[in-house]
Amino acid sequence: MGDATIGVQVDGVSKRFSHRVKGEVYAAREVRLDVAPGEFLTLLGPSGCGKTTTLRMVAGFEKPDEGAIRFGGEDVTALPANGRGIGFVFQNYALFPHLTVADNVAYGLEVRRVPSAEVGSRVAEVLKLVGLAGYEHQFPAQLSGGEQQRVALARAIVIRPRVLLFDEPLSNLDARLRVQMRTEIRDLQRRLGITTIYVTHDQEEAMAVSDRIVVMNQGRVVQEGTAQDLYHRPANEFVATFVGRVNLVPGRIDDLVGGVASVSMLGTTVEVRSVAHGIARGDAVRVVVRPEAIGLSAAGSEGPSATVASHAFLGEKIEYGLDCGGAALQAVRYNAGPGEVLPDGAPVTLNFAEEALALLPGDGR
Amino acid sequence: MTGAATLRRDPAVALTVAVLWLVLALFVAFPMATLLARIFFDKGAFSADGFLAVLTDRHQIRAFWNSMLLGVLVGVGGTLLGFMFAFTAARARLSRGLLTVVDAAVLLPLVSPPFTTAIAIIFSFGPRGLITYELLGLKGVTAYGLTSTLFSEILTFFPIAYLTLRPLLAGIDSNIEGMAQSLGASRWRVFRTVTLPLCVPGLANAFLLLFAASLADFATPLILAGNQFPVLPTQAFLQITGLFDLRGGAALSLVLLVPAMAVFLLQRYWVSRRFYVTVTGKGAGQAPHDSVSPRARAALLAACAFVAVAIIYFYALLLYASLVVALGANHTFTLAHYRVIFTEGLRVIGDTLIIAAFAMPLGGLYGVLLGYLVTRKSFPGRRTMEMTSMVNYALPGTIVGIAYLIAFNEPPIELAGTALLIIACYVFRYGPTGIRATIALLQQIDRSLEEASLGLGAGSGTTFRRVTLPLILPAFFAGLGVVFIRSMTAISATIFLVSVSWTLITVKILENITELSLGPAAAYSVLVVVIVFVVIALIGLALRAFRAPGSTRVTSLLGG
Repeated sequence: MGDATIGVQVDGVSKRFSHRVKGEVYAAREVRLDVAPGEFLTLLGPSGCGKTTTLRMVAGFEKPDEGAIRFGGEDVTALPANGRGIGFVFQNYALFPHLTVADNVAYGLEVRRVPSAEVGSRVAEVLKLVGLAGYEHQFPAQLSGGEQQRVALARAIVIRPRVLLFDEPLSNLDARLRVQMRTEIRDLQRRLGITTIYVTHDQEEAMAVSDRIVVMNQGRVVQEGTAQDLYHRPANEFVATFVGRVNLVPGRIDDLVGGVASVSMLGTTVEVRSVAHGIARGDAVRVVVRPEAIGLSAAGSEGPSATVASHAFLGEKIEYGLDCGGAALQAVRYNAGPGEVLPDGAPVTLNFAEEALALLPGDGR
Repeated sequence: MTGAATLRRDPAVALTVAVLWLVLALFVAFPMATLLARIFFDKGAFSADGFLAVLTDRHQIRAFWNSMLLGVLVGVGGTLLGFMFAFTAARARLSRGLLTVVDAAVLLPLVSPPFTTAIAIIFSFGPRGLITYELLGLKGVTAYGLTSTLFSEILTFFPIAYLTLRPLLAGIDSNIEGMAQSLGASRWRVFRTVTLPLCVPGLANAFLLLFAASLADFATPLILAGNQFPVLPTQAFLQITGLFDLRGGAALSLVLLVPAMAVFLLQRYWVSRRFYVTVTGKGAGQAPHDSVSPRARAALLAACAFVAVAIIYFYALLLYASLVVALGANHTFTLAHYRVIFTEGLRVIGDTLIIAAFAMPLGGLYGVLLGYLVTRKSFPGRRTMEMTSMVNYALPGTIVGIAYLIAFNEPPIELAGTALLIIACYVFRYGPTGIRATIALLQQIDRSLEEASLGLGAGSGTTFRRVTLPLILPAFFAGLGVVFIRSMTAISATIFLVSVSWTLITVKILENITELSLGPAAAYSVLVVVIVFVVIALIGLALRAFRAPGSTRVTSLLGG
């Protein structure tokens, strides 16, 4: 890589739109991001959460109303997209339909007046890198979705951008290809070491590719951290329910000693280590219980008893809907072999993997 | 299911198909066949002599090349002007109000009787013209010839280019331009390497449409071309009305047919296949790419404003001319011209309105029925029916008019001079706009919608009435609009069909111009523009009232 790898700072950026009914609305509100050099950061959130707007501001397609964007300490807020040295991959790829694959990829190099011999070799090199050698003279309309995706990727990285930006690049692909491409994107990014911001609404995809994930909702950043941080220690109900599946079980703090809470729930007591700030003894809480944290054992063992209300056999795992004294819970078991599936109506006893539990305040905050 | 089986199982469809074939045979195939027979058969024997005589006549050869030259120049000039307007409208971030002004100025020429710019040009640049004589003091200026014809036709026809290019520009995914910019390209480079190449098929299309329009245009050259610049449509007209040589006129019109057909086929089957699909899912809804620099924007706005002002000036002049005694000589205010057209001219106005009132619903219905049948039902000869229906639409009006004149002038089917013939001419010449709109609309409406209705137990009649019809209503109204507008403004075909008992405003305008009573001509033109605007507004209202929520909009009321 020619340039030294740089970080990206998004410093308190806001973007307003005037809405016909609601008046002035914030698409993004005081968003702060600090992307380390070479880091793969993902903006995750439901549609309309402001992640794409934020990305487009980093790219220079939108101008923030407030705040600044810096590339490696250099303020680029006023710089148009063509001066920022970015590589952008759109959800719909935005390939130039009138140009061949090779010409699409060469476009950014020609703009930069790279000598034509070098253009040829760099295009060939990058097409080989994305597995499209031999496709040079095809037109975008002749390619499959996955191939178009690779051309878009090749076109973005061939200019050796300072920052690589992805806007839901995989959502137009089928499920199997999506999984394959996300691995390829991740590997390529590791190999090239380009600082990357990636936007998606798919939490599994976010967890698969990112060094760090920023969860956004209603224009604001609600939590950031590694996939494991978000999954095991969600900051609020939104993150808990958006990242992975979850049971939020009402409980009460019986005791709080040395950061370990004794919580009574479902007629039993569990010890929880992950306790959010501001939770005190006697508080009503909700316990974050991931489906895989619920253990099922034969009826009559020690613990809360429940019955199987529904089950779905998914091959590698079995999903259960449980009825525990009127409370509906979801649980998942890995398939250990034939004969493992519990039928509907089967009585079971529950136990909880306490190290996997977390607490949220009880009032829905 | 085979086509024939469909017909057996669905008698209503079979009957409609039979009726459509009958009228197509009578009003499309029969006149064309008679025209060819008249040209190539002399006293019962085949003879190409008459046709060859036309082909080798130096004067007519000149008229042919003049027509070609005019067509190419109008095509190039009109496409450039139309592209400039379309680009400004799609990219220069105009306010809503400004956009409305641009749209109105651009649409004026499309809904006017054919002579309006021509008259305004004579008023401005003629021997006693407001600009040449009064303003510049030039004497002995002549407004006739290639330059003024070209100028007038470009102003009249460039809106066609605007209407074809604007949706194309608006449809280019802004992400594609944004992408080019993010790769480092400047605005100018994005325009040159991305926007413009993506528009090439549209530009070619616009050029062909304008070329065809100019080739077929009869009114403008009749007024403005003069003796020095003969063109084919006027030559054919003069051959028939001046020399009473029906056969020679027919042969001349046939010369026109070759380039007209070539252009039509090129446009339909070659250019239209070369459009790029640039909209792919999400992203199309993004705000237009910031693609015009402030300086370029100012230049574009200035250029468009200049043209728009010129157009508005011409129409204001026309209005003014209708309200003064004699423009250029006596500028005293008077309503005399309007008194003339509403007394002596009342019958002409009545005739025109009656004909338009009958042609409009028939043309609209014809368009929707034929368009629906050829896209959604399979029956033998489906493609042939679609092609046949396009013939009168694709051919220059002069040919259609002469063919009708020859075919219906004598038994077995003597219709000459009747309102029925004029109505039929309009229905089959302008109804195809409704056919095209219906086909285009149906192609966007997934068949599964109709299948869902059938699956829920509705019969095919109910399905058509409850599902399909509401969705293609916009095409019906578009068909109504076009047929009405053309019934009020067309002249090239119907000038051959008017009679003592039935005549048209446009023909009356032409008579007035040749008699140099320009005041009443201007008054008639103003009246037509007003009527057309009122009816378009009413159709627009009806469209809004009936349009199924979420159904596709038919934007081009004027088709092509």
